[in-house]
Amino acid sequence: MSTAQGQAIFRDVPASPPKKPHIGQRAWQARADYLYVAPAILVMLIVIAYPIYYTIELSFFNTPANLQLSQKQWTGLSNYTAILSSPVFWKVTWQTLVWTVLSTFFAFVLGLGAALSLHREFVGRAFLRGLLLVPWVVSAVAASYVWKWLYHSDFGAISAMLTAAGLIDKPINFVDNTQTSLYALIVVNIWKEFSFAMIMLMAGLQTVPEQLLRAAQVDGASPWQRFWHVTFPHLSGVSTVTVLLLVVQNFNSFIIPFIMTGGGPVGSTQIWITHIYELAFLRQRWGLGAAYAVLLFLIMMTLGYFYVRALTRGDESRAG
Amino acid sequence: MAEVVLKDVVKSYGSIYAVNHVSLKVEDGEFVALVGPSGCGKTTTLNLVAGLIPLTRGEIWIGDREVSGLDPKDRDIAMVFQNYALYPNKSVYKNLAFPLQMRRLGRAEIDSKVQAAAKVLDITHLLERKPRELSGGQQQRVALGRALVRDPRAFLMDEPLSNLDAKLRVQMRSEIKRFHQDMKATVIYVTHDQLEAVTMADKMAVMNGGFLQQYDSPANVFANPVNMFVASFIGSPAMSLIPLEAGSDGGTTVLRSPEGWSFALDGRNAAKVAKAKGKRVVLGARHSTVRLLPNAEPGTVPGKVYTVEPTGDVTFAQVFVSGALVNVSLPPTYAIRPDETVNVLFDQARMHLFDGETEMALTA
Repeated sequence: MSTAQGQAIFRDVPASPPKKPHIGQRAWQARADYLYVAPAILVMLIVIAYPIYYTIELSFFNTPANLQLSQKQWTGLSNYTAILSSPVFWKVTWQTLVWTVLSTFFAFVLGLGAALSLHREFVGRAFLRGLLLVPWVVSAVAASYVWKWLYHSDFGAISAMLTAAGLIDKPINFVDNTQTSLYALIVVNIWKEFSFAMIMLMAGLQTVPEQLLRAAQVDGASPWQRFWHVTFPHLSGVSTVTVLLLVVQNFNSFIIPFIMTGGGPVGSTQIWITHIYELAFLRQRWGLGAAYAVLLFLIMMTLGYFYVRALTRGDESRAG
Repeated sequence: MAEVVLKDVVKSYGSIYAVNHVSLKVEDGEFVALVGPSGCGKTTTLNLVAGLIPLTRGEIWIGDREVSGLDPKDRDIAMVFQNYALYPNKSVYKNLAFPLQMRRLGRAEIDSKVQAAAKVLDITHLLERKPRELSGGQQQRVALGRALVRDPRAFLMDEPLSNLDAKLRVQMRSEIKRFHQDMKATVIYVTHDQLEAVTMADKMAVMNGGFLQQYDSPANVFANPVNMFVASFIGSPAMSLIPLEAGSDGGTTVLRSPEGWSFALDGRNAAKVAKAKGKRVVLGARHSTVRLLPNAEPGTVPGKVYTVEPTGDVTFAQVFVSGALVNVSLPPTYAIRPDETVNVLFDQARMHLFDGETEMALTA
């Protein structure tokens, strides 16, 4: 074969890859695949999509307590305007923010401290690690009741110990006091979830490359500088994910405030979820509760977006 | 730069000796390769010199100072790691500046030293990049730069080339060698690749099982391996080792195979064999000292061809001799086929003999 003919063959090769078929065409080609996932999608539509739709629908209706739910009355956006113009909404939102920010911050800091202390080899490490996991493993309901008794103004162990130690004259009213109740509950929440941060960060610590720490050591970095320049940057991915998960979890908290105070006294421990519960299930104001839930849903979706982005960004940097 | 001296250095973990009574002296400006198979204790030895792990016993001196109990930062050494160990969240500039910052140097001084090191290694245009945006070779240079920037008394390198692809490894090998020559640096270089050690080092320390086997120039290690381990580890293809038995045939010393054949040794080799503890003697032959002859002659032994590997300008053949595989290099035109019976001749002047009991080289 001559060279000229060889070149003619090269020219026949298409310069660009073949066009992708139209999306409908591709869907039709993969119709069997859709059939396989159809049952799962159906179940998800029933148990996830429909409740979301129904909540959104309900948020545009008024549901007087003396009528059946089916006799709901269309009110347009008035549930939303009522919420946003009510001082209770802003109070509950502020308390939710305090609850979320303080719980997340201290749970993360304590979890990081615990993870760092447990990262080193020492006698009794496995036991201590197990012990520190107890708050996370124990049932939230049981823990709430235990703490309720620990805080009790007459029979509480905390006040009793402080009195015995001579630090206070009379028992402290931790939970039955509008000034301290929210913070008392935040302490319980931090105790309950710092183990989660600890586990996540311990896993993260195990992936810090030994050679980097050694390089820093040879370069003259002190233990604190090694933490600051090597370990902490390496933990940034897992820290982002941990903080986001804690924030979502804390925004959605229900059990601890519901059991320990029920939102009281005088609404001082009311946060979004307990407030929604009270509106919908105690005061039968379904529409208003639904509108609250939709607002919370929007906030959570925003956080969820950042969570997914943090997760996928981690993948990219690892791949690159 | 300074000399580095190890005096009877021991590192043990319980009853396991990772480094077993190693003594060696690295002269000022010398390039020494610690070489051996994985688990031989070479990296542990390097980490002991760096101070990253504590000594069990012995002394380490850098220059005129004993550093045995000092922190790595007080030993004034720089280290280059296998996977570069660049700080991923810092730019190249900040990676280079880091060891200087840790020594609390002024901003202007740091900048001039970083720029100087970057210029030497030709990475000035990369200073603003993050490590992940660099190729393997560029990362390697930044790692060298970080070691170079603070003018240490010795460079410790832990398999710095093993993460690079074959082509880049050859290129970086010559760059590191050039770097050593230009800087007149004292370098201790750990590698499992005997070719790297032979090509780069002034001296090589061959280790196995925590023991220092031999410490000499690559040429001497190659020519006079002290024992069977060193003989088989250094050189590619490896030296062939054939277990035989010493005997005598009418007054001349011969080496006898269990297969029945034997061949006579010359006077010098006979004197070596006389020093063996028992009758078992191992014959060592490098591929270039073995010849294949068309006909059986005095001194030749029978062999059977196992494989033939043409590489272009030389063809390697593996031949079974007395149950052992013997490497032979042949001209590419040499006609030879697997399973062919051949006559093998060992060069008496260049053969090695080892004591079958102690595995040590026999000397006249």
